[in-house]
Amino acid sequence: MHAKRSAFLKAASAGCIAAVLAACAPAADAPPAAKPAAQAAAGFEPAPAAVPRLTPAQYRATVADIFGPTIDLGGRFEPDLRIDGLLAIGSSGVGVTSAGMEQYDAMADAIAAQVVLDKKNRAMLIPCKPASDKAPDDACAKAFLSNVGRLLFRRPMTAPEVTAYVAAANTAGTKLNSFHDGLAMSLSAMLSSPQFLFRAPQVTKAAGGQSVLDGYSKASQLSFFLWNAAPDAQLLNAAQKGELDTSKGLERQVERMMASHRVEAGVRAFFADMFHFEDFESLRKDNLIYPMFSRREAMDAQEQTLRTLVDLLIANRADYRDVFTTKKTFLTSSLGAIYRVPVVNDRPNGAVDPWQAFEFSADDPRGGILSHASFSALHSPANRSSATVRGKAIREILLCQKVPAPPGNVDFTLVNDTTSYKTARERLTAHSKEPMCAGCHKITDPMGLALESFDGSGAYRTTENGEPIDTSGTLDGKKFNNSYELGLALHDNAAAAACLVDRLSSYALGRKPAKGETPWVAKLKDDFTAGGYVVPDLMKRIATSPEFYRTVPPAATQTASAE
Amino acid sequence: MFRWALGAGVAGASLLGQAAAAHALESRSYVVSYFSQQFNSRDGDCPGGVNPDDQAGQYAVILQGLGYKPDEVKSMMSEWAKGGDGEERINAIVNARAVINGQNVNAYTHPEATKDPGLKFVTSKVGYGFNLDGKDGEVSFTDPQTGEKGVDNMLSRAIGCNQNFRGSWDAPSAYGEWIWVQLKDSQPAWLITITGEDIDKDGPVTVRLTRALEYLKSNLDGSPRHFMTYRVDPDPRSHNEFKAEIKDGELKVTEHKPLSLLWNALSSPVLNLKNTHLRLKMLKGDTLDGLVGGYQPWTEIYFAFSHNGIVGDRPGLYYAMKKAADADPDPKTGMNMSISTAYRITAVPAFVQETPHLRYQSAEVK
Repeated sequence: MHAKRSAFLKAASAGCIAAVLAACAPAADAPPAAKPAAQAAAGFEPAPAAVPRLTPAQYRATVADIFGPTIDLGGRFEPDLRIDGLLAIGSSGVGVTSAGMEQYDAMADAIAAQVVLDKKNRAMLIPCKPASDKAPDDACAKAFLSNVGRLLFRRPMTAPEVTAYVAAANTAGTKLNSFHDGLAMSLSAMLSSPQFLFRAPQVTKAAGGQSVLDGYSKASQLSFFLWNAAPDAQLLNAAQKGELDTSKGLERQVERMMASHRVEAGVRAFFADMFHFEDFESLRKDNLIYPMFSRREAMDAQEQTLRTLVDLLIANRADYRDVFTTKKTFLTSSLGAIYRVPVVNDRPNGAVDPWQAFEFSADDPRGGILSHASFSALHSPANRSSATVRGKAIREILLCQKVPAPPGNVDFTLVNDTTSYKTARERLTAHSKEPMCAGCHKITDPMGLALESFDGSGAYRTTENGEPIDTSGTLDGKKFNNSYELGLALHDNAAAAACLVDRLSSYALGRKPAKGETPWVAKLKDDFTAGGYVVPDLMKRIATSPEFYRTVPPAATQTASAE
Repeated sequence: MFRWALGAGVAGASLLGQAAAAHALESRSYVVSYFSQQFNSRDGDCPGGVNPDDQAGQYAVILQGLGYKPDEVKSMMSEWAKGGDGEERINAIVNARAVINGQNVNAYTHPEATKDPGLKFVTSKVGYGFNLDGKDGEVSFTDPQTGEKGVDNMLSRAIGCNQNFRGSWDAPSAYGEWIWVQLKDSQPAWLITITGEDIDKDGPVTVRLTRALEYLKSNLDGSPRHFMTYRVDPDPRSHNEFKAEIKDGELKVTEHKPLSLLWNALSSPVLNLKNTHLRLKMLKGDTLDGLVGGYQPWTEIYFAFSHNGIVGDRPGLYYAMKKAADADPDPKTGMNMSISTAYRITAVPAFVQETPHLRYQSAEVK
């Protein structure tokens, strides 16, 4: 099917492959240009829009939304690229390798087969019956493909696109003596097309002559930001009616989406990206040293943090900075063993739930996400903890500060000498006597050493190699004596909240805000602070900002031909 | 703070109830991480050698006992060794060697219908366990750890000369290791909760032995996971509480009631001990290591052996235990129905949740 489908893919999407980065033709029923929704921040200058590749989660969510959650993708995705702290930015800087394209093709074939060739699914998902199963039926093919295409491409298909995909289904159906085989070919081609795999923005002119995203591109940007999924039918309808081009219409949709449970997926996707949780996929621990820490515990660790964040920030609309101090979390009994706390997985009336709400006591050293295994285990090598790696993670991930890479000729002898130097503090103190190392270690180690009370698996300890662990230090002049107090210092550090705004605005745009957009980001930071650091409010502000949709057409880029 | 001894809530402390209000009691809980019969059978303890220690050797002895001549036995064992139909034929002869009313029947189900092969007993004077009857007789042991004389562990004496039961404290028997590995992942765990005013000090405590709803959780290297949370099975058949005392870091029960814990068909459906004795050393790392002993119905032990199939001449073990049984004489026949024994028990720290909200319903046989 793969080879045959390639020809149809070429025929159907050749017109757009070369042009995708320069934006495809506007949709057939694009609404007329409208006035900007609200006034932009003073001094604001828009930048070219990003053209992100769908992330694996977005691809999965889109397929599940359109065809149902039981569709098996039957393939794997290329690794994403992290740029400026986010995969969301990296996704705008990647293409598709030939090996990656093979995987997309395989998944497209698998999905199309399940949707069209499976009789049970077909009955639910195809809105018409062909005149004959053994011959093409253009009317039925058009009804199915144009409906599905609107959801896959996140805009109505253009007339030439519809014609091409229906013709492809006809040709294949004729040759294969099967309406459904032909239809599957076309659906597979759509799933492999750049219009589906990339979120290419459509730029239009507003009444004032400003370049803005058109309604459908606004819908996509909004939906992938808030739900990490393609726009649903309601949002596409709003785009079609031009509602997203008015403040009121946009706010109505944002309110609807923020009130939906699906915003949880968006928040989880953002924090999983910000906190580098994709690294859990490759996280391995030395089981002789950390026999408790298996892949199960690794998966639980990241889930613990994501549940904590969603509960704290979305359900309770708490101050974002409380993520560094909150005693409330969710645990499984396996994590409870690492944390040495009881976790019973039964619920009232005999229900069983492995995830239980848990609150650490006031005198417990745990509190805040720095004390989660998702932080201490993820930012440690396989066989030990690392104050430097953890301190670097705090600087770069939570404070958005850049820590220079170590020189290539670092001598790690002292860092690994646990005979002469029992604790990490002793080893790093000795190591930092090297002048070329001292500078960076000064900005990473004090914070990382506070977390030495958690070993490489996240378990609490008070000694290392028999010596007591000193967890005191300072962060930007603020003293702390232990990991919890480090969390308090982060809570009160203005850079932490500012970093979240930087990351969230970058995540929403799919790129780092350009220099001309900094007034908008600065205003977001001011509003976030004034509003009490409430993340849903920040999301809403971004989503309803006119700046979020202002752009200029992407620079013309030389792209590969459709050959 | 990180001590898992808790004054209320989990860790078994809920059993304290009103008592906790009057005295500041603490509880520490553990999950059993090893449990198996404790033998002491080493070189020199079985004069003349151990009982035939492999299946072929065992079969040869059985066939001779059935009246086959030496050259016939040799030929039959050669046939058996080749496998296939020949093996099945010999197996059938061995398995159905019991005779009732002139009919061959399964020897393991009907051990009394076979000839007693007269297995050797352990002759050592050193063995692990407890002095259950307060006497120091000719067949009693002296415990090498406690120095206690009059130790009653007739199970060890009766079957310790079979290869699979040979072993000691530091080198557990092959059977013990094998059956623990089988059991730990196929039955709910057993729990121990110690409650007292200050468990780190000498003094009276209570010790509770129960069964969990969950299985023992193991780490990636097979070691038992510390600090997992287990719920107590509400089934009262596995609820046991003893008065005990801690002295010099060792816990000993001071009341010797029966012990009952639901177990596993591979060993025995229920572990039943009478005159229960328990000693547990509280080791560094908050683990427990010790022995639990008492009188156990020996037929329950036999029928575990009879169907798990790895222990040599099983009818021979039946006769050995029958001869060695030292308690609970049947009022009619006078035959002792229980045998003194001791089990090695280790445990690691755990959280234990009482389950008053779960209702227990017993199965009724109608």
